[in-house]
Amino acid sequence: MSTVKATSSVAQQGFRPGHRQSMGAPTEKPKEGRKTLRRLLSYFSPEIKYVIFLALVVIVTVLASVITPSLQSRAIDDLVSGAFGQIPHILGIMLALYLIHGGATLLQGFLSARLSQRVIYRLRGELFSKVISLPIPYLDSHSHGDIMSRMTNDAENVSNVISSSLSSLFSGVLTLIGTVAVMLSYSVPLTLLTCVTVVLSVVMTRVMSRLMRRYYLRRQELLGSVNGIVEEKVTAIKTVAAYNLQESSIEEFTQASDELTRIGIIADVIGNAMGPLMNMLNNLSFVIVAAFGAWFALRGMISVGVISAFIIYSKQFSRPINELAQLYGQIETAVAGAERIFSILDTASEDKSGARELPITEGVIEFKHVDFSYVPGKQIIYDFNLKIEAGKKIALVGSTGSGKTTVVNLLMRFYDIDAGEITVDGENIKDISCDVLRDSVGIVLQDSVLFTDTVRANLKYADPTITDKKMIEAAESSNCDKVVAALPEGYDTVLTGAGANLSQGQRQLLTIGRAFLSYPKILILDEATSSVDTRTEQHIQNAMVELMKDRTSLIIAHRLSTIQDADMIVVMDHGHIIETGTHAELLAQKGNYYELYMTQFAGNAT
Amino acid sequence: MRILLKLLKKYWYFAVLAAGFMVAEVYVDLYQPRMMATIVDDGILGLHNGGVSDLQLVISTGIKMLLVVLAGGVCGMLSGVFSNVTGQNYGNDIRKACFRKIMHFSFEQTDDFSTGSLITRITSDVTQVQQLVMQMIRGFVRCLMFFVGGTTALLSLDVSFGVVVACAFPLILIDVIFVVWRTNPLFTVLQESLDKLNSIIQENVNGIRVVKAFIQEKTEARRFDNANRHLVETQFNVQMMMSFLRPVMNIVLNIGIVSIIYIGSIQVQGGKMAPGAVMAAITYISQILNGMMMLAMIFQTLSRGLASAKRLEAVITTDPGLEKLENGYTQPQQKGSVSFRSVSFVYPESGKRVLRRINLDIAPGETVGIIGATGCGKTSLVSLIPRFYDAASGKILVDGVDVRAYDLAELRQKVTVCLQKSELFSTTIRDNIAIGDPKASEEEICAAARAAQADDFIRQQPEGYDTPVAEGGMSLSGGQRQRIAISRALLKKGEILIFDDSTSALDLRTEAALYAALREQYADVTKIIIAQRVASVKNADRIVVLDNGTIAACGSHEQLLRTSAVYRGIYDSQLKDSEETEKGGQA
Repeated sequence: MSTVKATSSVAQQGFRPGHRQSMGAPTEKPKEGRKTLRRLLSYFSPEIKYVIFLALVVIVTVLASVITPSLQSRAIDDLVSGAFGQIPHILGIMLALYLIHGGATLLQGFLSARLSQRVIYRLRGELFSKVISLPIPYLDSHSHGDIMSRMTNDAENVSNVISSSLSSLFSGVLTLIGTVAVMLSYSVPLTLLTCVTVVLSVVMTRVMSRLMRRYYLRRQELLGSVNGIVEEKVTAIKTVAAYNLQESSIEEFTQASDELTRIGIIADVIGNAMGPLMNMLNNLSFVIVAAFGAWFALRGMISVGVISAFIIYSKQFSRPINELAQLYGQIETAVAGAERIFSILDTASEDKSGARELPITEGVIEFKHVDFSYVPGKQIIYDFNLKIEAGKKIALVGSTGSGKTTVVNLLMRFYDIDAGEITVDGENIKDISCDVLRDSVGIVLQDSVLFTDTVRANLKYADPTITDKKMIEAAESSNCDKVVAALPEGYDTVLTGAGANLSQGQRQLLTIGRAFLSYPKILILDEATSSVDTRTEQHIQNAMVELMKDRTSLIIAHRLSTIQDADMIVVMDHGHIIETGTHAELLAQKGNYYELYMTQFAGNAT
Repeated sequence: MRILLKLLKKYWYFAVLAAGFMVAEVYVDLYQPRMMATIVDDGILGLHNGGVSDLQLVISTGIKMLLVVLAGGVCGMLSGVFSNVTGQNYGNDIRKACFRKIMHFSFEQTDDFSTGSLITRITSDVTQVQQLVMQMIRGFVRCLMFFVGGTTALLSLDVSFGVVVACAFPLILIDVIFVVWRTNPLFTVLQESLDKLNSIIQENVNGIRVVKAFIQEKTEARRFDNANRHLVETQFNVQMMMSFLRPVMNIVLNIGIVSIIYIGSIQVQGGKMAPGAVMAAITYISQILNGMMMLAMIFQTLSRGLASAKRLEAVITTDPGLEKLENGYTQPQQKGSVSFRSVSFVYPESGKRVLRRINLDIAPGETVGIIGATGCGKTSLVSLIPRFYDAASGKILVDGVDVRAYDLAELRQKVTVCLQKSELFSTTIRDNIAIGDPKASEEEICAAARAAQADDFIRQQPEGYDTPVAEGGMSLSGGQRQRIAISRALLKKGEILIFDDSTSALDLRTEAALYAALREQYADVTKIIIAQRVASVKNADRIVVLDNGTIAACGSHEQLLRTSAVYRGIYDSQLKDSEETEKGGQA
């Protein structure tokens, strides 16, 4: 029985690649691979029905393929001994078994395809949900190309391996167990000898696996950075063209790509070496069995017939081992990919919690002694105090980098404050569920982000059930109806490349329309009209007066005409509030705002 | 496929080596069973020794066999090395060729393909083609040897066995053709749905703030789910079809074995054949089976690889959107003049006419402001100067030479555009500025940053000029990003400097200081400034008022205030009660 144990440890080895890591190499995170694999396997537990069904089918296949060789040798024996009458009968059974085998293999293909696609569908979906629920600081500080690479390359890798290796793994292990059982029934000492190979292959696999893992991980990383370069350069194609950066970008890409190739070759060469190495070990095992078998036979310990049968089975024994060794390389890749996927899945999601689920009714915003820094030690906002009454229009002005957009980031809970508190309707925003908070805020950002979808879907982004009538109203008040009118199919035009062929100002108008349509209690416009001409802006503002009645608006702008009629203007400088008041009050103060205002008339331009 | 094949040529000797070593490996694979048979028949069973085992023979043949296998293994590994070198270097070449091509795409071509799709092509599709090449080199040789070797040996045993092969072969062929025919179109769909998925991921990652602000995580997850489901369904369909290959081949060839035993039994019964020949025939037919199996695998890779190859070929064979005008080039005489001669421009994608017969001459060193309503064609107008797009009719001259006659790099060296959207790369601030002139000294970089009013805030960053810019410049404010982009533009020292609304996020004071610096330090540079604020262009030599794709008025601020109603309207909308305030301020 001990042999069976030894053998099944080979099987385990086949899908527990990280096992070896516990033996040394501290840099490679001991046991990580094993944990990753266990976790990957846990994705199969909801599919247990498929797994069981697949296992049954595999058992049928294996049985058929174990029985047929013995039938075949019986037929040959009959042929040799001249018992020709028996042959058609045996052949009939063989034929039936072959058909069963074929049918089972087909079913096995279907099932493993279904199973693997279901698993990968869930894994990918989970990953995407995770990515969009990651905190903003994480996404701001990680390469988008690399995140994308994990979602596509790594996920596909895992998917491919699961689908290609799942049933081979099953049948390999089963065949192995079945064959060992038969072998044991023939001769225990010879079986033990065969297992010398098993020990050798375990050792070898472990050595190889350590090498492989390192290169596979590195390869996936490089793939991520190649992806990152493509993403960055293609997205910024205008800058690349404007600065003749083609050659230097190509050079950068070439370096990454060459390195990927170099590592890829090493990784695959090591992976491919497993096959021939295993083949050699199998032959070694054969020679050992043959030599000792002959020796035993000469001493009369076993019959010659046993050796011959044994040899047939030891050949059968080597096939699954070979397959498992081949699979090993693939599984290593999958584990490397899975590891990168899980590292994203393990990143804490954005904390959206908050006890308050009731919608915001007033829109009173208050900042109390708020301190904030993006990077520890480099404070951006200092002791920020500001109360915005419901239904008022507040403007934030100040030099660039004075922290205006940061205030928005904090109010939206994109970033968490270091000290102080921000309240909305008297409630600390940390205690308001993020969804409720964000639902009550309509926001138009500096970067006008649109999606590759119809204009209609983009405008109705907040709520697709909004009627077309309301959409058209909002489009008129945000002046984007003129943009839409110029598009070939009006509201049904699909914005290719996320609106890449619209002008910045046109995109801004669409994003304003989108924000209007969400009927927010609080509206934030962060440089939302910077690329819109002033007359159009005027029109939008007039429309806003009606729209924002009883609603709070917070406007960030450099163009003072945008904010002149605000109820209160807050002048910021280096994270501090330096002046507040209405346009008239601030002008009368002849302070900072006054100076800023006067630059509009001074001969500043060129 | 011609271009992709041409790229492969470079590695033909590696491919030949890989194939050669594969032949050696297969030869050993085919030879080894014979040694095994000697060990079994003569060594152990002692067939020629009266049934007595011969330990000596077992050991000597065993050692010989191990050596042969070792040699075979080495050959196999070498074949692996060479096929990897071929395949991966080839993949690398395609990847680089595609990237090079993409870098020279015109903007519309990039939009046509979409960023997401380009990324899929450069990663996933290249991997498929690479896989195809490696499989072809190794698998094809192997499969062919097994198949041809097996068939020849089988026929040499007894021609009647040929009937079996002759019957089995068409059946297998039909199976393969059927599967390939059904799956081929699916692979294109597969890569396309991968594109779609990629695009959704990209948009979401880049637009995450909007997704979160509108609490659309669930909707986006649903959108992704649709794409994901579609991809998974397609992949499943492909695998379903592929599942038919193996079992059908298996059945056909197993029936072949049954038939061979049956035919063999008749032949043996008739005394026309020895039983050993039947056993050998079974071995050979298994070899043929093996070859066939591999063929099935190859066809899998082949159809997927070909679909990918087509997509890559589409990238590589895309003609550069902007062709150079032959014979139009003469040595430019001036430095910094721009002329529009009856220029019209139609947006390539929508076919919408954006500019109508524009005529405009800008003298070297002149400062021209451009102002006008959103969507009136300001950006389009200046995009024609560095030839980001081509005019539909009319021509644009830079320094008296048609822009189409220039070498693009030369033209774009003369013309610097500071874009509306400041695109920063994820490297240090210094490197982002140095893009303007990679050879610039530290001093020059700082000087450009000073003129762009960026030096102060850069020095306040944790590591000054060496501070890394986070993904897309998110760690910097909009105005800071713009100023880095302006520093970059100033460093480039072009003859013509175009500001495409690139100071929109700057506060007025910073903007004023920037323009003052421009006036002093870059006096002889021709400046074209698109702006929304009248204040930004007020002091330009001339202001062009664009309206609906035509020049509505052109002149100095004072002239336009008097003569142009459109300009007057813009001015009023911005300054409202400003006149009084101005007077009040001065009083």
